[in-house]
Amino acid sequence: MLSKVYTTSLYGIESNLITVETDLNNGLPALTMVGLPDITVREARDRIRAAIVNSGFKFPAKRITINLSPANTRKAGSHFDLPIAVGMLAAIGEVQTYKLDQYVFIGELSLDGKINGVSGVLPLVLGARDAGMKKIFVPVWNMEEAVLVSNVEIFPAEHLKRVVNHINGVALIKRYLKEENHSAVSLENKEDYADVIGQNNIKRALTIAAAGCHDILMTGPPGAGKTMLARRLSTILPPMSEEEILQVTKIHSVAGELSKNKESIGERPFRMPHHTISPLALIGGGTKLKPGEISLAHHGILFLDEIPEFNQNAIEMLRQPLEEGEIRINRMSGMVTFPAEFILVAACNPCRCGYLGDSKHECICSSAQIQSYKSKLSGPILDRIDLQVELMALNYTEITAEHSKGLSSREMAMNVANARNIQKERYYHMNMAYNSQLKGQYLNKYCYLDKETKGLLTEAFEKMGLTMRSYYKIIKVARTIADLDEKENIELKHIGEALQYRKTDNESMGL
Amino acid sequence: MINLMNKYPVKTITPLEEDYPRMLRYIKDPPSVLYYRGDIKIASNICISVVGSRHGTGYGKWAAQMLGRKLAEYEIVTVSGMAAGIDTYAHKGSLENKGKTIAVFGCGVDVCYPKANKDLMIEILENGLVLSEFPPEFQPTNYSFPIRNRIISGLSTGTVIVEAGISSGSLITAEYAADQGRNLYAVPGNINNIYSIGTNKLIKDGAVPITVIDDIIDELGLKRKESIQLKKTLGKDEIAIYEAIETGSETTVDSICKTTRKSAGEVNAMITVLEMKGLIYSCMGKIFVAK
Repeated sequence: MLSKVYTTSLYGIESNLITVETDLNNGLPALTMVGLPDITVREARDRIRAAIVNSGFKFPAKRITINLSPANTRKAGSHFDLPIAVGMLAAIGEVQTYKLDQYVFIGELSLDGKINGVSGVLPLVLGARDAGMKKIFVPVWNMEEAVLVSNVEIFPAEHLKRVVNHINGVALIKRYLKEENHSAVSLENKEDYADVIGQNNIKRALTIAAAGCHDILMTGPPGAGKTMLARRLSTILPPMSEEEILQVTKIHSVAGELSKNKESIGERPFRMPHHTISPLALIGGGTKLKPGEISLAHHGILFLDEIPEFNQNAIEMLRQPLEEGEIRINRMSGMVTFPAEFILVAACNPCRCGYLGDSKHECICSSAQIQSYKSKLSGPILDRIDLQVELMALNYTEITAEHSKGLSSREMAMNVANARNIQKERYYHMNMAYNSQLKGQYLNKYCYLDKETKGLLTEAFEKMGLTMRSYYKIIKVARTIADLDEKENIELKHIGEALQYRKTDNESMGL
Repeated sequence: MINLMNKYPVKTITPLEEDYPRMLRYIKDPPSVLYYRGDIKIASNICISVVGSRHGTGYGKWAAQMLGRKLAEYEIVTVSGMAAGIDTYAHKGSLENKGKTIAVFGCGVDVCYPKANKDLMIEILENGLVLSEFPPEFQPTNYSFPIRNRIISGLSTGTVIVEAGISSGSLITAEYAADQGRNLYAVPGNINNIYSIGTNKLIKDGAVPITVIDDIIDELGLKRKESIQLKKTLGKDEIAIYEAIETGSETTVDSICKTTRKSAGEVNAMITVLEMKGLIYSCMGKIFVAK
């Protein structure tokens, strides 16, 4: 007997429809699996045998051939268990086949027939939908994630036996529906910029970063509040759109980052990898082609604290994603593109001991140490960071002063939302949304500078020794400042302000 | 580097020769031979040495640069050690105003230490003099620097200590200057700043404080030149910011915001304009008046 069952297989963060063909023949009992299954798929045979027997069916004592078609792409993941088991039961006649081709099966089997959760469900379901399938069996564990996809019927798969009963029409499983107001994000108990005393200059820079999706580098002594300021950046970003939630959840699903109490990513991700992270973990890759931290931070924030302490290779690898908003990875198992559009927030000390230029503590670094610390952040990387600001530690009187509270997240978020709307309208007909993505001809079109403004910029260009890239970065930042100001054109003061946020390259960093 | 070697070859001079630095002849233990590159004659002009900590704060670097500029304006030679920090800025200040400057090395005159100052060294060779009592190819060692400090003070009629921690090497220079009977000046600083403890103590012990940059000119008995009233060209808001910087000692953008009641954005914009006009100067997050 021959049977056909559908499932999907991951390819990067996309997925394709796969047909599981099962054939039973007379001969010595054996099970062969073809169609480039990897080790997790090949191990399925033992789980399936136990699950079928423990669900009260008989395992066929025949020569079994299973083909995963198309046979020329590699297949990985434990979610092939369920479709293969169903296919086998269909081949021996335990499952009725006339409705079988309407369903897609995703799930890992436990030895007692229970169905366990798997990672990557969201992209798997999306792939099935895009292939025209309507009814999908998904492990109960992954329901919330699966129902993010519209125009499909999601059925919770709890046990092999119940899935079989449903298809046979013995006991139907109810279609799972999305619970409403689940996605409402509570704004209570959140961190707030009002917690950070003073530092209005840095808060202003962070507002600009959030408004135009600009990358930012903060340099300052230990205890000045760099980490605190970075952590709160997500509080001033506008909430994600449905489409963004879907895409971010997809990436997190593939990476296996979702869990029972975090089934979808409703808030902008904030990723803060430790500085011992390997280049692969940061960028993505590995034999299974998993997304790295930069992709997990997609539509959110990637915070690299103590950036000079990071593996220098890893930091240099950020160059391409910083420019293009995505990362292409080529490996033996294929080539994938992961999106990586994030706001890079980097923080570092002015020197190794952290107290260079501080008036309270003596800097104990030798000049060679200072030089080597600074040289860790290479020119090309610094050049790509739009905003570079320096912050000071506050003294006691400033901390205790009542009036120094400064801006709160609410005020900042309003400005950011406003500026982002202006950008969205302006770039409506283009494939972009933020000033930081401006390129080439559009830069000249949307960033008109009058003579006086151009004069200031030219003068600064000479005096500060800017590169051509940073020249354009300044214009882009000025565009965002003008948007925050709700001005049609970039004015002198906007360029003037933008220039203040590009100090680091010629002052303390190039001492 | 080879071309530079041809252009500025290493030469030697002894006290028996006429061009041997004038002031250096009168110290207790003048070097019996000096290795130099550049124009040795400028070492016999009026020299003032400006030295300080290798780390220093933004304030110290500002002061060193301003002193260098001011001295160059009056055609006085700035002497320093080309070390990182204060020394570097003293040289830079002088060069900015097209002044002559002398770097006294604690290593051979063909060795660039610290390496980061390579460009600065070339500029000094072009506009001044590099000298040392150590033979070419002599590598820097921890004992050679204190010894060369006596040459720095010995070349000059006066020595300015800009910033010095408790155990800074520039205090050794100060001691030499006092021993050699030369004038000793110190730049006062906040008493809670560790880099000012050394200089403030020197003032307590009798060094002349530099309360405004022009003090150094008065001390040398020269007549002050009238400075141009750049302030007149400023707008109302710009003047408010300028005055806030002038009256605050180590101002930050945040403190200016507070005194002028303006937003950080506006303040930053005006700082750039003032900076481009050369009125103010910012370093490591702090802002200073430039003139």
